[in-house]
Amino acid sequence: MTVMMKLASLETKMFFRDRISVFWTFLFPVLMIWLFGSMFGDSDLNGLSFAEMFVPSWIGVNIVTTSFFTLGTVLTGYRETGVLRRYQSTPVQSWMILAAHTFQGAVIFAISALLLMIFGMMMYDLTLPAYIGSTLIALVVSMLAFFPFALFLTSLAKNTQSAAAISSLCLNVMLFLSGAAFPLQFMPDIIQTVAKALPLYYVVELLRGTWNTAPITEYGLEVGVLLGIAVLSTVLASRFFRWSDQ
Amino acid sequence: MEDVIIVDQLSKSYGSTQAVNSISFSVRKGEIFGIIGPNGAGKTTTIEMLEGIRKPDGGAISVLGLTPHKQLRELNKRIGVQFQATAIQKKMKVKEALDLFSSFYKTNQKDHLIALLGLHEKLNANFEDLSGGWKQRLTLALATLHKPEILFLDEPSMGLDPHARREMWKLIHVLKEEGCTIVLTTHYMEEAEKLCDRVAMIYGGRLKALDTPENLLNEIPVHYLSFESKELEYDFLISLPSVVNVDVENHTFKLLSDDQQETAYYIFKYCHENNILLRNFRFEKGSLDDLFVHFLEKEQTA
Repeated sequence: MTVMMKLASLETKMFFRDRISVFWTFLFPVLMIWLFGSMFGDSDLNGLSFAEMFVPSWIGVNIVTTSFFTLGTVLTGYRETGVLRRYQSTPVQSWMILAAHTFQGAVIFAISALLLMIFGMMMYDLTLPAYIGSTLIALVVSMLAFFPFALFLTSLAKNTQSAAAISSLCLNVMLFLSGAAFPLQFMPDIIQTVAKALPLYYVVELLRGTWNTAPITEYGLEVGVLLGIAVLSTVLASRFFRWSDQ
Repeated sequence: MEDVIIVDQLSKSYGSTQAVNSISFSVRKGEIFGIIGPNGAGKTTTIEMLEGIRKPDGGAISVLGLTPHKQLRELNKRIGVQFQATAIQKKMKVKEALDLFSSFYKTNQKDHLIALLGLHEKLNANFEDLSGGWKQRLTLALATLHKPEILFLDEPSMGLDPHARREMWKLIHVLKEEGCTIVLTTHYMEEAEKLCDRVAMIYGGRLKALDTPENLLNEIPVHYLSFESKELEYDFLISLPSVVNVDVENHTFKLLSDDQQETAYYIFKYCHENNILLRNFRFEKGSLDDLFVHFLEKEQTA
């Protein structure tokens, strides 16, 4: 356990030493909210204000970026440069590495979610989530689903470039088709159906819902789908964990 | 001497390529054992099977009484490995790496290694800012933190400049004196001669020779005379007493002889009497490099 915590805190520390990734991780979502805000800031969307609609969904998008870029692509890089291989002949086990990176991802995500919420409160009169306990549980469930999901998908990549390509593809598809960036009711029926096949759709529904409308108990389907993804991808990620790309 | 590694009829193939072909040897406690051969000879595959991270197709391995790929967790507590061309996280500081890897083991000799490897001055440096030599020192330290009973080094001096390489050799010797058994692979023959107590020569996945470097060199005729001359002829040289073989390339002769002193005498005498200029006359002691070429040539003619 101490090994896992040590790994997790070191990885977190090292993340903050890389200024560029810090910028992209923390500032980019805030800039996007600001950009969207300058376009739709005053609109009323299905009875929700701009911030009530988009801050929760961008927090959802942040889970995707954290899991694919902060976790998946970095771990693929470690695999490629032999960082993981070096652990292979020590008593460190694969679950410790996955757990450490999951922990690091959770810390980084929490900071960026907090930043987004504060920004929304300051600029667009956002209020704290209506069912704050439900929202917190929703966030944990979403991370449990997405972190191993991304770790598994990127571990299929041969190198960092293809991991980045997989990550960008997943992010962009989910960003535009799951209702995170653009409300789904403006989309054709077919896209509304496709959206339901994307995991981010359930995250966005869950976060938006618990933030504004109802407690988590009303979202059994979303929680069920996400927990299903969590279990399946945890199994896949640990089953197919590779120490090196040979 | 007690054997800490016993390898019997070890084989491994990738697809249709037989990377390691029925190799047998054993490593004694406390020695530096070298696995040498050209690139692609099967050295890394062999050492990785000893480390337990690659599963053999056939044959048996015992390392410290364990079957490596089956008892990897137990084995990893007792061995140390420096892989070929691996890195640690770019932004990790030297002291953080030492600290992290120390936490993997019940006991560690961190402070001793920092002193031994002179890592004091680099403790606060990020890994990405270290030179190749310092990177190798650090990864050597990471592999030896827990006082492993056996240390595996895959090409320990690859990419190092001559000075850093000598420093690395010194460190490996110190580790040996501290009681560690060391198994290393290399394709630098000089490294094998300077470092190893015994060497296994691998080529094409097969074990070609196994002995001390001195014995290997004595066993095979690799001592020769070399000189340059524009006037001496092959026919004359081959007719001299004790001469076994003459190679000539660009007026540079390589003369293999059963009695170097006698052959040298005849050459000097003849050149003196006929006023022939000899340049760069040398008694060459063969190196493992020559031995290697010797083996390859034998292979091709066979």
